[in-house]
Amino acid sequence: MKIEKTALAGTVESSDIQFTLSASDNGIQIDLDSPVKDLYGKQIIQVIEDTLKAYNIESVKVKAIDKGALDCVIKARLVTAIQRSLGMDEPNWEVL
Amino acid sequence: MEVREIDLHVKRNFDRWHSFLIEHGISGFAPQETAAIDRTFIWNEAGQIIATGSIAGNILKYIAIDDAYQNGGAMFNQVVSKLMNEAAQLGRFHLFVFTKPKYIKSFSYVGFHLLAEVEDGAVLETGTPDINDYLDQLPKINDQHDKKIAAIVMNANPFTLGHRYLVEKASRENDSVYVFVVSQDVSLFKFDERFKLVKAGTEDLKNVIVVPGKEYMVSYATFPAYFLKDDQNVGRFQAKLDAELFKNKIAAPLNITRRYLGSEPYSKTTDVYNDELSKVLPPEVEVRIIERKKNVGGKIITATQVREAIQRDDLSMIKNFVPETTFDFIKENIGLLKDRF
Repeated sequence: MKIEKTALAGTVESSDIQFTLSASDNGIQIDLDSPVKDLYGKQIIQVIEDTLKAYNIESVKVKAIDKGALDCVIKARLVTAIQRSLGMDEPNWEVL
Repeated sequence: MEVREIDLHVKRNFDRWHSFLIEHGISGFAPQETAAIDRTFIWNEAGQIIATGSIAGNILKYIAIDDAYQNGGAMFNQVVSKLMNEAAQLGRFHLFVFTKPKYIKSFSYVGFHLLAEVEDGAVLETGTPDINDYLDQLPKINDQHDKKIAAIVMNANPFTLGHRYLVEKASRENDSVYVFVVSQDVSLFKFDERFKLVKAGTEDLKNVIVVPGKEYMVSYATFPAYFLKDDQNVGRFQAKLDAELFKNKIAAPLNITRRYLGSEPYSKTTDVYNDELSKVLPPEVEVRIIERKKNVGGKIITATQVREAIQRDDLSMIKNFVPETTFDFIKENIGLLKDRF
């Protein structure tokens, strides 16, 4: 699946993360901005990739501004952004 | 604490908001600035405003937070988050902010990237598509970094023989020329029309690349200056900011080493603008100011005169000022154009 419609979810408040998804012309592109990138960047990107995979998304530009979010928050915010982009009302429970 | 949206058309709301901002060092409330506001939010605590922020088009404006509630930036992050989410609901994902240099850090912390900074102010952007996306999608030239590349920024309202003269000269003197057409739609000719006419009028020049300037080129007409002191020269400030942006974010990555400008005998604004560009751009980007072309009768060619002639229905005069491509368009659409005045 491809992300076509730009969507935003989350905030830039402490312990949160803000995602902006938009169309990509080159597969999955992840741009992560985080104060803990050196320590946890790999882990955060892993969560993002897994969540995209669960929704079968193969093409998207992901901009993430992290403010120290836990994995569950990262996943929840990304799921919301994906749903907003795809115009879905309910999460894809089976894959979560 | 509660956050709510207020309607600034209600005088009582406006007055409260206005006095809160004045207390917090924001002083410019020109009617054209406040009229451009789409949404305004306030944060209340015990009946007092403690923070506010507004959205105007794709610009976040009038952000202020009471010192007692700064809380290490947490309140600021909350205000910006709220504005970004509201803007997203309006379908606006690419946002700008104009602010004092001392707040660059705060905005960078919430994901904004600096586009240009001068002594009195700075412009930052966030979201998507950003300036890197813009640069990525511009047409490139083979071995761009070994070539002599020039740039011209024009509004071309509409494209005249004067513009053509400038482009031709740059085309002759360089390997390639980027012509950036101002995207802002505040002119008689709409962007699509201006862009089309520049393309059509330069089609025979093979080393000329016509591209839209988007938000990154001479949008100084709408650069807000509301945080400046009244006695500062707004035009100069805006021109300086625009010149810095062009030099560092456009010219450097594209290897543009020359910028061509038309001399400006009539418009003070453009004159100030040329003056600031000449100060900021060199030595990295050489500025070449080219004398205006005169038509057969010895008159200087300006787009202003063409627009006046349209209003007067004076097609024979227009013919002396514009290339055939522009003339054909005007002739076909003169009724429509006159209706826009």
